[in-house]
Order: sequence, then structure tokens, then C-alpha cells
Amino acid sequence: MDKKEKILEIKDLCMDFQSGRKEKVRALNHVTLDIYKGENFGLVGESGCGKTTLGRTVIRLYNPTSGEILFNGKSISGKLTKSDRDYITSNLAMIFQDPISSLNPRMTVEEIISEGLKIRGMKDPAQCREVVNNLLNRVGLLPEHATRYPHEFSGGQRQRIGIARALAVKPSFIIADEPVSALDVSIQAQVINLLMDIKKEMDLTILFIAHNLAVVKYFSDRIGVMYFGTLVELADADELYDHPLHPYTKSLLSAIPLPDPLREKDKQRLYYDPAVHDYSTHQPRLQEVRPGHFVYASDPEVEQYRKELEQGK
Amino acid sequence: MVLYENNKEKYDSIPKEKFVQVQKDQEIHDVDFKTKPIGFFMDVWLRFVKNKASVIAAVIIFILSIFAIAGPSMSDYRYDEQHPELVNMPPKIPAIAKMNLGIFDGAYLLENRQYDNLSDPEKYPEGCVLEILNPRLVNGQRIVDVYVDYYKYMGLEDEDCYWLGSDYLGRDIWTRLWRGTRVSLLIAVISVCCNVFIGVIYGSISGYYGGKVDMVMMRITEIISAFPRIVVVTLFIMVAGTGMFSIIMSLVIKDWVDTARMVRAQFYRFKGREYVLAARTLGVPDMLLIFRHILPNSIGPIITSSMIAIPSAIFSESFLAYIGLGLQAPEPSLGVMLSRGQKVLLYFPSQLVFPAIVISLLMISFNLFGNGLRDAFDPTLRGAE
Ligand SMILES: Nc1ncnc2c1ncn2[C@@H]1O[C@H](COP(=O)(O)OP(=O)(O)O)[C@@H](O)[C@H]1O
Ligand SMILES: [Mg+2]
Repeated sequence: MDKKEKILEIKDLCMDFQSGRKEKVRALNHVTLDIYKGENFGLVGESGCGKTTLGRTVIRLYNPTSGEILFNGKSISGKLTKSDRDYITSNLAMIFQDPISSLNPRMTVEEIISEGLKIRGMKDPAQCREVVNNLLNRVGLLPEHATRYPHEFSGGQRQRIGIARALAVKPSFIIADEPVSALDVSIQAQVINLLMDIKKEMDLTILFIAHNLAVVKYFSDRIGVMYFGTLVELADADELYDHPLHPYTKSLLSAIPLPDPLREKDKQRLYYDPAVHDYSTHQPRLQEVRPGHFVYASDPEVEQYRKELEQGK
Repeated sequence: MVLYENNKEKYDSIPKEKFVQVQKDQEIHDVDFKTKPIGFFMDVWLRFVKNKASVIAAVIIFILSIFAIAGPSMSDYRYDEQHPELVNMPPKIPAIAKMNLGIFDGAYLLENRQYDNLSDPEKYPEGCVLEILNPRLVNGQRIVDVYVDYYKYMGLEDEDCYWLGSDYLGRDIWTRLWRGTRVSLLIAVISVCCNVFIGVIYGSISGYYGGKVDMVMMRITEIISAFPRIVVVTLFIMVAGTGMFSIIMSLVIKDWVDTARMVRAQFYRFKGREYVLAARTLGVPDMLLIFRHILPNSIGPIITSSMIAIPSAIFSESFLAYIGLGLQAPEPSLGVMLSRGQKVLLYFPSQLVFPAIVISLLMISFNLFGNGLRDAFDPTLRGAE
């Protein structure tokens, strides 16, 4: 696997929502990041920081205010023609957060999963049926479940139906928007493991969105941390854990519960206060502190972070 | 890890094989459900039949509809057949009259009759006297008030009875009542169907596309609903003439706005749902999103509100008839009959009572039925019992 082959490039992406007549909410503020083919990119940040917006803008549920999105080198951020849209819908798929509202209550599981196939012209019911059965088996459900309605399933099962729906169109890139946040802790691992198995099997790239680092820690190759629409830190997973630089990342890390009660007891919870930055003289931007490790900081801060890294060694 | 470091020997003495990672490679296989799949409408039906009042209402609506269809042909009279010699006859149903219950016996009060004449078969045919009241002496004459079976009094056979009496032109009220019910129901149902048809299309477009389209479309509905109804209706009838078509149109012309607004609200409610977004990420075209994903989920409120619109359409029709903008004679409708009946209320109350009972039953039943449907469709009740 060539680690340097970019599948998705996001450049300076901004997304404003109208709130009221004149006011605007900036949900994404000049976000720049690349995602490499076959990797598992974790995106974390507290609720309301714009993670969902990023995911939905990439798959073009929203129209970006400015910036560029390239998928396999092809721009998908401007005005879309029909073939652009087909390109996006057949290459990108999304797994949604809410297991209740992400499945149409009036459609059977089979109708839900096969919808993408039918749009793409698979007319033969027997063929559809077979694909659906395979997908159901793949996500650990039974073919007998195909005729059921979503309200008969548990949260974990519904999320797996959502995964099957996303897989039906054979995408190469999956945006998983907090797919386990609404699930019981005992089910979370099950669904994540399933997703990771499928990723390996189908050679997928995943943008995995979560609101805390605890979830993405174990399986992400690289992790991006967002704070109020801004990407504040981006690094390899291990690098981010061992050498967090941005104070917000540190506070997120300190929020992860430790599986060791003695250490958990002594742990110091850090809180992030944006006032620690002094951006009056130097404007902050996303800068590479060391290869592959980006931080949103001003020049003096970068110097300081570099020093911190030197000492850490 | 502190805990581990402090108990190193103890932990290290546990053989490695004893540790198994939970749920790591465990295959997830769910069991098949034992129950039958319950579709949406089955679910609604099960909840609907639990509500006794609305089931009774549905039965009443059904019975009234049957009568509206078959009622007019049950009697030998036609709805427009006039009998000038038999005007304002009282109701008589021979089978019930025989039971001596005091109803449907064709009774009519003749006041100030000479008692001596009662035994004269020329004047009072055999068996026509039902009850004699107030015997008194006036100028030496024996005077009484007498209830007669008016049909026998007029020398008519039992087969010729008007079951619910006749009106001021001697037309059979039974036939006219059911034909009127049929016409009123038709007007109501057709106008509500038109409302729903226009309202759903208009509201869907407005709600789905939102933004500027929505803004313009909603302003138009506001203009339409700002016109006073009575003026619009009167103008429409002036232009298009009276008749079923113009009454239906005059009901549609303003009422579709309510349906459109309701549908638009439903679209706003559902179009941001994740399953709709999911369908969009799969490339489902707009029309399918509207008709497969959003509309079916708003079917409950649409059906419910149209059921509740039916009684108000029936009422509006009666109201139009009442102010003289109803159907052209001799075509009856409940409203036409009510407004005629009201004029003779004090003398022949039965002419008002029968259509009043039918319209009341219809309105109560449709309202109860609509409420029952709303409860049955309401997803917040799903799984609550
Ligand atoms: N459709 C929308 N219209 C207006 N504002 C929105 C919309 N979606 C999200 N926002 C705003 O954008 C910000 C980011 O939201 P979101 O992307 O959902 O955050 P997250 O997924 O990280 O919790 C929030 O302040 C939210 O209020
Ligand atoms: Mg979110």
C-alpha cells in the first residue's frame, strides 16, 4: 500500500450556515487535510465543532462556501453536473450517527439496502435479493431479516443495516459519522470491529468521526482534532498520543478514562481555555512542526512546540 | 500502569493463553425473529381497532354511506317526484306503526273536530283515528282534537306511505334525504380529494426545495387565504353558476391552502432526517426522495387531516345552501333540506329533524374517526402499549 497516494484532499474548506437574516455561523474554518488511500482517518472534537458538517460537505450534502475538495485528484467541490454527482455517489458513502432516524421506518430492510443498487440500474429482483443477502450475512444479520421493518431491530443491528446500505454501492471511501456514539458501550466494539474487518476486506478508506479520542485511539492511522470549525492538530495516531502539542488535544487526551483505577484517581483533567493563545501579533495557521505532525499555531508557538518536542525526547 | 507494577508477580504468574480478547474475532450472528413482520398499515390497524369510539364512528360512516348509495332506490318515490295533493305528510312506516309506539305512525293532529263526525266513514275512514284529546263543549257542540293516521285519513294504502314524510311539494323525504346525503358526501369527498391533490403537490415542492421557492409559494398561499371565504365563494358561484361543480370548486379554491401548509410542515420535518440524507448520498433522485422517503412518512397527518376536512366540507356545503347559494332545485343535499326544514320547523319538525340527525351523525363520526386515525398514525405512540 502506497501510503502517500492521496484519495481525498481538502483545501481551505469553509462552510457557513445562514442563521437568521444576515448572521452566519462558520461551521468549517479553512480546513485543510489529506486522507491517504487505505488509511483510517479519525476526526475528533467536541459536539458542535463541525465534524458532521465536514463529513456532509465532503459527500456534498452541503455546498461548501469556499475551498476545494479533490477526490482521486478530481474536483468535487464546485457546481456538480449529473455525472459528477454519480461519481460522488458511487465512490463515497456515509454511515450515519443516529440508529433510529437513519433508516426509513416505512421501508423493509431489503428495500433500504437495495435502494442504491436499484438507482444504479440493477433491475433483476433475484439478483438484488442475492446481493442483499450477502450483505446481511456480512454484517452478521440473517437473510430472514430482509423482510423486516427497522423498528424491530436493536440499535446495534440498525447500525449494521446502515453499514450494509453504505456498502451496497461498493464505495471506495466511507464517511462514518459517529457510528457508535448512540450505542451501548458493550455493542460499540462489535460494530467497530465489524467495520474494520470490512475495511480490510474491501480495501476501503474510512473517515471515522468521533467526539472523543477514546474511541478512535485503537484503530486510526492518523487523527485530526477539530475545535470550533478549525483543524487544530493533525498527526499519526501514536505521535498524537505520545506528543500532543495543542492544548485542546491535551485536554481531550486527559479526558480518556484509564483502565487502571490507581492512575485514574491521580489523573489530572486538563481544560482548554482558548485565551492561552496570544494571536494579537502573529496570525495562527496550520503548520508542520515535524514531518506529518501539523498544529494550528502562530510562529512563536511553533517555536515553543518544537522545543517541547526536543525536551520530550 | 501502577496497579500492574505493584502486583507484577501475581499477574505474570497467570498463563498468557488464559487471556481472551472479548469480541475481537467473535462472529456476530443474530437470531431470526419469532414474530410475524408487522408492516406499517398493519400496525396502524391494530392500534385503530383498540379505539372503540372511532371503530363505532367508522361503522356509522359505513352504514350511512350504504344508505346514501342504496337508500334512494329503496322507496318507490323518486327524489323529484311531486305530489301536490300530498304535501307535508307526516312520517309513517307501516311495520313500526303497527307496534303502537307513537312514532312513524303517520299521526297528525286535527284540531277542533266535531266528535259526532268521527264515526262517519265518509269523513274518517276505518281505523284512521289514533287518539282523541281535549273533549269539550262549544256552543252545545261536542268538540275534540284528534290524532289521525293521516294516510288512512286521506284514504291511502300502506304501500304508498312516505317513510319519513313528504315536503312542501309532496316529495318523499326518505328518498331526498339519502340522495342529499349522497350529494353532500360526494361534494365533501371530491373537494377534499382535490384539496389533497393540489395541496400535496404544492406543499411538497414548497417544503422540499425550501429557500426562495418556498418563500414565493408561501406568500401566494397567504394572499389566497387572506380573501374572505364568503366573498370568494359568492363570486365563484356568480361566475360559474350554481351546481355541484361550482360548489366543489368554491370549497377547493381556499381549502387546499391548509393542506399545502400542512404538507409543507411535514416536509420540513422529514427532509433533514438522516434516512433522507442517506438516500441522497446514494444518489436517489429528488422525485423518489419526495415520493418514497418523505411523503409515505407524512401519510398519517395527511390522511388524518383530510378525514377531519370532510365534516367541515359537509358543513360548508350546508352553510352555502343555507345562505341560498346551494344546489339548483330539485337536486337535494343535506344543506338544502336543512334550510327548507328550518322554514317549517314549528309545524312539521320532522322535515328538519331527519337531515339534522344525519348531518350530526356524519360530522361526529368523521371527527371521531379522524381522531382515531390520528392516534393510530401517531408514531410517538409506537410501542407505547
Ligand atoms: N444545517 C445547519 N444549519 C445551520 N447551522 C448548522 C447546520 N448544521 C450544523 N450547523 C451548525 O454548525 C456547527 C457544527 O455542527 P456539526 O457539524 O453538527 O457539529 P458536530 O457534528 O461536530 O457535533 C454547529 O454550531 C451547528 O449549530
Ligand atoms: Mg455530529
